[in-house]
Amino acid sequence: MAIMNQTKVNPYMRSVSIIGVGCTPFMYTVDREETNGLTEGELFGYAALKAMEDAGVSPRDVDFYFHGEASPLNGSNYLTPNIQIANWFGMKGKASIHHSEACCTGYYAIEEAVNAVASGKYNCVLSGCVEFGDGVAVPNHPYKREKMTMDRFLATTAWLYDRNYTRSFMAGQELIYDDAAEWYKRTRGITDQDMDDTLNWMCINNRRNASVNPLAIERTTYEELAKEKGFDNVMDYMRSPYNPKMGDFLRAGAIELKCDGAAAVIVCATDMVDKYMGNKSHKPIEVLGVGCAACEATTPHFEVTATEEAVRQVYEVTGVKPEEIDLFYSNDFIITSHLVSAEIAGYLPYGEGWKYVCDQRTAYDGDKPINTNGGRTSFGHAHAASGLADLYECVRQMRGEAGEGQVKFEAKTAMLRGYGGAQNICTYIIRTKD
Amino acid sequence: MSIKLEKVVQTFYENLEEGKITAKKCTKCGNVEFPPVYACNKCGCWDMEWIEISGKAKLHSMVMPAPLSMKPEYKALGKYCYGEVELEEGARFNAVVRGINKKKRDEILEKKMLPVNCKAAIYQRDGYKTVVFDYVEEE
Ligand SMILES: [Zn+2]
Repeated sequence: MAIMNQTKVNPYMRSVSIIGVGCTPFMYTVDREETNGLTEGELFGYAALKAMEDAGVSPRDVDFYFHGEASPLNGSNYLTPNIQIANWFGMKGKASIHHSEACCTGYYAIEEAVNAVASGKYNCVLSGCVEFGDGVAVPNHPYKREKMTMDRFLATTAWLYDRNYTRSFMAGQELIYDDAAEWYKRTRGITDQDMDDTLNWMCINNRRNASVNPLAIERTTYEELAKEKGFDNVMDYMRSPYNPKMGDFLRAGAIELKCDGAAAVIVCATDMVDKYMGNKSHKPIEVLGVGCAACEATTPHFEVTATEEAVRQVYEVTGVKPEEIDLFYSNDFIITSHLVSAEIAGYLPYGEGWKYVCDQRTAYDGDKPINTNGGRTSFGHAHAASGLADLYECVRQMRGEAGEGQVKFEAKTAMLRGYGGAQNICTYIIRTKD
Repeated sequence: MSIKLEKVVQTFYENLEEGKITAKKCTKCGNVEFPPVYACNKCGCWDMEWIEISGKAKLHSMVMPAPLSMKPEYKALGKYCYGEVELEEGARFNAVVRGINKKKRDEILEKKMLPVNCKAAIYQRDGYKTVVFDYVEEE
């Protein structure tokens, strides 16, 4: 095992709760007349005001905001993207900070906001993220956007990796795709066929979850796609050239759908909930703790190693046991992530998780739901915003407001695991406050 | 010893030009940092000395390149895989290991041979030299 330093996390100075969430649909804005031309302020502002409305607070109640965007220079022509949208949601003059941890941004959005309130400095904070992962700003035009080309996307994601050694060694940035599958297959002793089926079932389950989620970008189930192409059995379709092998293990369906979107959350001191929420009747959801770690991409099995440490921290500081987790969300821009992290978190039993996936027990109507919104391969991946979109979905599930996609039991406690930025990990546990 | 503002990266690459693969070794705990950095990640000490590594290493995992994980310039590597490499001196990191194709990977897995031996090599990229590894077939 590579060297891995550990951190001891202390309990918060005061309890912090989630009282409001907001989320835009995830979209290819440029592709549709109704959405083509939407801007950063409009997406972020919508999510922020939705979260305030949901919480029952006014912009005047909010003390500070955090702003996340993975790639503001590339997607928006912005260097300080928190400032450039500052007048859009009634908080003019109030301070803010921008942060980027790439695809982990929307999870650090919770870490940052909760710390700001738990410290005592602020009582009520907004944390929002926006990303134009598909429609990038046309320079020198006030609102026009153009499609992000794959060449441009790959050129800019190369910036995620250390220039001195990682890019030069040619391995870390390429292992992002298949390392987790290789690790899972080898350490659990399953066959290539089992691994392929497991990856395919994750795609199918994610898509079925998205099919009942009005905010998801891709809602046509794989069963429907299979039928369209003349397949009676969905797995025959998943193994066919319609879902080609793109990696050593990964097929096309196992990769994120990069897109545009925004999401936001309002947190406040738990003992001030009554003051802020006014006549709102939903229960606040307490953030019990956050565990964080990071493994730069030259670190062997970076995702696994950093997830193990972050999960250790969050269980230690909260005292929560894995069997208490009712719902699990994981950033799965590489779909393998959702199985690997769920097993590391003990949400699925070691070496058995792949069977839960193949038996569809991890779909929204199963007993161990993962990524009930459809995950990155079906809900979509607006890079920074995805983490808060997961939280949006999770909060709706915990309140029983998820509509057709509602899980089949009462979910009181949830874990969300963020991953990204070559590679940050941020994992947190939330619980409905009675 | 106090911290020195030092060009570690440039020195590492200049050493490669001279045919030497170098690392930093902790003077307190003996941990070897490869690629070289300022401080020891094992004990936190920043009194580090340059060493030349033997090049002997072990490969612990194998991922084959595929359309997602390939760049046109990697063609010059010939057959290769990505994986976790452990130097004889102890450092573990992700690297390219030449001499392994899908067939060889399957054979290594079938015979449960991991970890297998490999050896560091200096490899010319566009404008600079870097480090890759070569699979060492068992006698
Ligand atoms: Zn040391």
